[in-house]
Amino acid sequence: MIHYLLAVRSDREGFEHLAAMAVDARELFASRLEVDFSRCGSFDANMASPLAAVLARIADRFNAIEIVNVPVAIETILRKNDFLASYGYRAIDDESQTTLPFRRIQRSDEGRFADYLEQHLRGKGIPDLTDGLGKALKQSIFEVFQNAVIHSESQLGVFVCGQFYPQAQRLVVTMADAGVGIRTNVRRYLRTNVSSADAIRWALEGGHTTKTGSQPGGVGLKFLRDVVEANEGTIQVASRLGFYEYRGGQEKLEKLAADLPGTSVNIEVDTSNTGNYRLPSEVLPGEIF
Amino acid sequence: MPDEIVVRVFDIVGGPLCVSADDGQTVHDRIAPLLRDGHKAAVSFDRVDTVISAFLNAAIGQLYGEFPEERIRELLSVRDMSADDLVLLKRVVDNAKLYFKNRREFDQAWQEEVGDEE
Repeated sequence: MIHYLLAVRSDREGFEHLAAMAVDARELFASRLEVDFSRCGSFDANMASPLAAVLARIADRFNAIEIVNVPVAIETILRKNDFLASYGYRAIDDESQTTLPFRRIQRSDEGRFADYLEQHLRGKGIPDLTDGLGKALKQSIFEVFQNAVIHSESQLGVFVCGQFYPQAQRLVVTMADAGVGIRTNVRRYLRTNVSSADAIRWALEGGHTTKTGSQPGGVGLKFLRDVVEANEGTIQVASRLGFYEYRGGQEKLEKLAADLPGTSVNIEVDTSNTGNYRLPSEVLPGEIF
Repeated sequence: MPDEIVVRVFDIVGGPLCVSADDGQTVHDRIAPLLRDGHKAAVSFDRVDTVISAFLNAAIGQLYGEFPEERIRELLSVRDMSADDLVLLKRVVDNAKLYFKNRREFDQAWQEEVGDEE
């Protein structure tokens, strides 16, 4: 079958266009999918992660995937970040060093993810990764990856990439998994038929976790929210039929027009805003327990 | 035997990154027997540069499911941790106390019961 992919930017519509492809190819088995980019007006580099997660699930059903008719500008972006290398395109050297290249990392391979960040987060507009914004961003990215490790049940791994925009002083990092999605875990936990959007809202509340074992949870996503809020950045979470966005102090929760498998998280920070990233309130070591 | 045993996180994890629940579990498995035996334990984060809540939940948060709060307060301490990370640890500890008070069962069967409708 041929699927004509429409524009994929970092917004609700972009996720919907990827979800439309997932739905279109839902019944495809041991066949062939041609992803035709001729109607794709633009593609944000970081969105290669959710695209890869969708394609990985389709390929997992023994389908061959081909990517064709990619407009030159988009081809350059997706060759620079290595995404198209898996589909027979030659990589282009990222001379400006603005790309966090696309990688697929197994959930069990946490060390490889740490190496990836160590290697590629440097030089992306944040001078110090051990303090302030750099430290807080690194922690936030690890929190999201750990969430995928613990909750996603993704057998196909976690897909990561990102893009630094020096003029705009923005850095976007995107992680996507091909797992069960937030809704399934929240439904199992709450034992109620919540919508995808409500499940995302629930999961982002401090103290909320679907864990029930010996290790508590429910702090990581609240931490991420606090960091992005302090930075005046953006978070987007798309999972199944839900889309959440935090931008400019405003939260938006919407229903996607089609079912996007797994969970994708976009973290966008303003690299010029290196202000105070201390979590509210000071604590002394003697007051912890 | 010293009055207080220093648990060096960097040495147990094998580096400066405390970013996985598995590593947190390993650290927990070194701390818990000390508390069980009534030893004072000081958890040192010297040379650790990144720590996240998933690690702390496993390493320290889950102790609240095994020991009374008073026992932990009496025997456990932390040192060599940055001010930011202390605030994160405090959140993890406060959250863990609530978690074990309100813990519930996970229902694996639920997904099948409700199907795929929104």
